[in-house]
Parts: sequence; C-alpha cells; structure tokens
Amino acid sequence: MDYAIETDSLTKNYGGLIAVNNLNLKVQKNSIHGFLGPNGAGKTTTLKMLMGLLKPSKGSAKVLGREVHVDDANSRLKIGYMPELPKFPKHLKCIELLDIYGKMYNMTKQQRAEQIPKLINLVGLKGREKDYIGKYSKGMQQRIGIAQALLNNPELVILDEPSIGLDPVGMVEVRELIKEIAKDGRTVFLSSHLLFEVEQICDHVTIINKGSVLASDTVQTVSSMFIGPALIHLEIANLTNDVIFAVEKLPFVKKIYHEGIKLTVQVTSHDADVKVKVSKEITNAGGVIVGMSQKTSTLEDVFIQLIGGARTQ
Amino acid sequence: MKYDNEQQTQESSRGSVSWFRRFMAVVHYEMLWNIRKKKFIGVIAFAFLISSIGLVLPFILGDVIPQNAHFAITYGADSLSLFLFALVIAMNSMSSEFESGTIVPLLTKPVSRTTVFLGKLFAAFIVLLISFTVLFTYTTVGSIFVFGAQSDLGLLPVVLFGNIISAFIWVSMLLAMGTITKNTILTVIIAAGLFISLFMALPIVSVLSGPSTALNYFPGTGATGTLITADNSEFSVNAGTDSLGVNMVYALLYPGQNVNFFKTDIWSIQIGDQTLPAMELLYTESIGFIALRGLVIALAYIVVFLLIGWLAFKKTQINE
Ligand SMILES: Nc1ncnc2c1ncn2[C@@H]1O[C@H](COP(=O)(O)OP(=O)(O)OP(=O)(O)O)[C@@H](O)[C@H]1O
Ligand SMILES: [Mg+2]
Repeated sequence: MDYAIETDSLTKNYGGLIAVNNLNLKVQKNSIHGFLGPNGAGKTTTLKMLMGLLKPSKGSAKVLGREVHVDDANSRLKIGYMPELPKFPKHLKCIELLDIYGKMYNMTKQQRAEQIPKLINLVGLKGREKDYIGKYSKGMQQRIGIAQALLNNPELVILDEPSIGLDPVGMVEVRELIKEIAKDGRTVFLSSHLLFEVEQICDHVTIINKGSVLASDTVQTVSSMFIGPALIHLEIANLTNDVIFAVEKLPFVKKIYHEGIKLTVQVTSHDADVKVKVSKEITNAGGVIVGMSQKTSTLEDVFIQLIGGARTQ
Repeated sequence: MKYDNEQQTQESSRGSVSWFRRFMAVVHYEMLWNIRKKKFIGVIAFAFLISSIGLVLPFILGDVIPQNAHFAITYGADSLSLFLFALVIAMNSMSSEFESGTIVPLLTKPVSRTTVFLGKLFAAFIVLLISFTVLFTYTTVGSIFVFGAQSDLGLLPVVLFGNIISAFIWVSMLLAMGTITKNTILTVIIAAGLFISLFMALPIVSVLSGPSTALNYFPGTGATGTLITADNSEFSVNAGTDSLGVNMVYALLYPGQNVNFFKTDIWSIQIGDQTLPAMELLYTESIGFIALRGLVIALAYIVVFLLIGWLAFKKTQINE
C-alpha cells in the first residue's frame, strides 16, 4: 500500500521530555485523516518533523513516498502546510505574500494570476487582500494560513489546528472547504483537539496522547472500538410476540430484552440505517412505536475513555 | 483550483531557472520587508546627515576652506557610520523571522535554508548599495560646492565598493549573531559591545605601542601612517578595514608610493620649557599593499561570519 505519510518509530525528545514517542503513523492517500489529541500530546511536534522543521531524535518518516530530511526544498513542492496559529510578515499585503510564496512554489505568473484570486475568494478575504497583514485579525491570518497551504495545488495538505481562532461561521466554512479540497484526490492530514470536527470531516483518525498512538483506524471503527455493541431502546404500545419475532429475525440483532411495553435491542452494527430497519420491521408486524432512542458510542466516548484511562494510569 | 501541472514539471526540470526564481522570490520578500520598515527611511536620512556634517564642518571650523579636487573620491564613511548602517540594515533580518514566527511559513515553502540565507544577504547588499549610492552622490555634489571642482570622479565606484565591503564585515557579523541568538536585542547588544570595545581599545593600544600592523587585523581604523606622494604632498592614511575604499583610491592615484608609520613618544623631547613629541619611524609599507591587505582581511571576516551564520541557520531547529 502506498501511503501519503508513513512514519517509523518517529521520536522527539526535549531534554528528558518525550514529546513524540515511537510514533508509527500511516495516512492513506486520498483520505481525510484526523490527528486527534489533547494539548501537549505531540501533534505539532510530529507535523514539524514531517515538514523537516525539526530533526527527529530517532526514527524516520516518509511523505509522498520520499524520505523526510531537514531542509529538503524540492520535497515541499507538492505539500501544503498550515502552521499552528500562523504568523505572516506584517509589512506585506496578503496578495503580495501569496504572490511571493507562489514564486517559491515555482508557479508561473499566469498560474499565480489564476490561483491567488480564487483562493482569496475561497477563504473569504476578498476585499481585504490589498491590506497589510499587520492590520489583519487573528482569524484573518488563519485564513491566509489556509490559502497559502493550497497555493501550489498540493497532493498533500497538512493543517495544524485549522479552525482554531475562527468564528463559528468560519469554522463551518473551513470544514466545508477541507471536504472540498479532498475531493480532487488529495490527502488531508489535520491535527485537532476538537472531536466533533474530526468526526464530521475525517474518514480516518489517529488518537495520540503523550506522544504515543492510542488508536488509529477509520473514524467508524475507532468510534465503535471500545464501547460494546450499540443498544436501541424502544417503547411499543402493543408489544406482541409477532413484533418480537420479527425484530429477532433481523441479521444485525444480537439480543433482545422486553419488559412491559419496553423493548431493548442490542445490535452489532453502528450504521445509522439500523434504527430505520428496526422500526420498519416493528411497524410491518403491527407494532406501534411510541418511543425510540439509541445509545451509540461517539468518538468523544472513545477519546475520554482513552485519555482518561491514560491519565489515571 | 486546478492549474496545469505539466507546466510545473517541465519547469522544474530546468533546475537553475527554478532555483533563480525562488531565490528572487526570497529577495523580493526581504526587500519589500526592508524598504517598508521605517528604519529604511532612517538609514537614508542618516546617510544625508553624516554627509552633510562632513561638508558643513569646514565652514564651522575654518576661516579658509582649502580647495580639494579629490574630496569626493577620498571621502569614506567613518567607523561609527559604517557600523550604524550595517546595524540598521542587518540587525533583525534573521532574528525577527524567529521572533515573529514568520520563519515557519517561510521554511515550509520549497526554498532551502541556503536560498533563504543567500536571499537575505543579497537584499542586505542591495539596501546597503542604495544607501551608499545616495550617500556618495550627495557628498560628491556637495563637495563641488564646498571644495571646488572635483577630478578623477571615475574612481567613485572604487570608493563606493570599498565602503560597502567595510560595512559588510558588520552586516555579516550581525546576520550570524541574529541567526545564532534568534533575538534582536541580544544581537544588537553583542554587536554594539564588540564595536565599542574595538573602537575604544584600538586607539589606546595604538598610542601605547605605536601603529602596530597587528591593529589592521581587527575591524576598525587600524594603524595610522603618512602617505607621501611623488610631488611631496602628505596624506594621513588609516590602514585598517574601515578605510578600504579610500586606500584603494590612493593606491590607484599614487601607485607604488609608500606610507610611513611613526611612533610618537609623547614624553621624550625637552626643549627649554616645552616638551615636544618625538617621531620615530617604525616601518614603511606601500599603499598598494595596504589596500590589498585591507581587502583580504575584510573579505576573510565576511566569509567567516557568513559561514558561521549559514551553518547555524542550516542546523537550527524551528521551535517557533
Ligand atoms: N521547543 C520545545 N522545548 C521543550 N519542550 C517542547 C518544545 N516544543 C514542544 N515541547 C513539549 O512537547 C510536548 C508536545 O508539544 P506539541 O506542541 O507537539 O503538542 P500539541 O499536541 O501540538 O498540543 P496543542 O494541542 O496544545 O497544540 C509538550 O509537552 C510540549 O511542552
Ligand atoms: Mg499543537
């Protein structure tokens, strides 16, 4: 399998502190991969090693099939990187900065003339692009950060906490934008400590704490990994045996319990359509559903379990 | 959001063109940054100021202003000005990238650290060139009014070049310190400390031990001697790196002429009630040799400082 990012025992020590500990990370091409962890987990340190800003204490990394070395300029031609809380020179106008960065990406004048206005529009800075960056708000600088990471039409986009510091509308816009970016066959690797963000936009997730990976898989698998099977609680006005048999016959139903009008169905699948199928069967068997609720585990449950577990250890 | 990727691949195969474009992008980045800092206007204003002082001083001091047809081509910026120009141009070129955190987006572009370093260096050179061109043009025009018609103006580029080299010792030292400390204030303190110690210590050594040739190996004015031309005019000559431009002009104007270095013994001769300083000839060097040695020493400093700065920049971890 060809990965966009692959690390092998990647480690970074700061004196006695192990910021990143034997990290083995695999990011599939053409995926949106979330890098989730609490403050100080080692996310930024990892991303900086991937970008050649920091030298690993041990281990190695491959990005887009190429071994990462500190300061390998050409390897960065196909990567877009947005630093955490990026800062740009105050004395430059946004449009000048993007033009200069474009030249660094070896883009022709024509390519820059096409790409830059599009990006300025995309990140919602239209009308302000000729202002000095010194006059920009924090969120606006963050938006330049996103624009400059997409400048070179990169194969791989690495974003360090892209929605931090944005207003709620901005956050939603950025999430939509990230989904959009990934559509053209690109890979997006983004760090975050916002669970719902990762759950909403990512298909894969790696959870990291204290420099070590706790879980890494598809968002769905990770979500269902630690909490047992999901339970559907139902209240049925006329709970007949017909209804019970009908539900029992469904392939994904593991067990059912009933008491009075209450029916609890334990299912093996976390698909959203499970609920629909169950309620359809009940209605077809003549049952009248008066109440229904489902307890499925979320990424948040998993996260709190994992991190909480690690903290009390 | 798509553009023609083929074009990009085609161009990157032409490596040198691609490198040059990226290099020029760094220069452009740095120049815009430099020119818009208020300090740039300060540098130009400072150039006018020190030149004006040089031109107006004869009026303040003297009754008769001697006509001097070589004033313009033998005008060199003084040690302090050379240092101040360098300071203003180079003190935060490196360090402020780290202090403001702008180094992170910069170094994650496809430009190598070497390219960034060279770009910043080249931009510093351009700014210094502009400042000194302003300074020397203004001085030349002014000197025509003050000292009469000027001759041999074709040597102006030589004095300009020499002064740029002199100032570049400090520019490269500041770039190296800025990269190592990543801190502007610390860089200024270290550079100013070094400048002031040399500026004060060397003249004291010179008085105590005479104009030793060892003085010429430190950045500064160096040993002071007297150039005697074929027609027996005398000029005071500083053999150090700071006077490189003027010495190169002298070497071209008076090829093969010698500079005598005297030790002055302030306590030695007693004539009646008066004590007169005694002059003892220590050694003689040709003006051509002095200019060449100054150039080699200055370039050696520049190369060493730049190597230190470049290696430090290559090795540094970006924790910002
Ligand atoms: N330059 C440094 N010197 C010493 N320790 C550092 C340095 N940079 C980071 N660390 C430490 O490394 C650990 C990981 O930091 P890192 O910035 O990678 O975390 P993070 O996951 O990005 O956190 P956040 O969500 O707060 O951004 C932290 O304990 C931090 O204190
Ligand atoms: Mg971080």
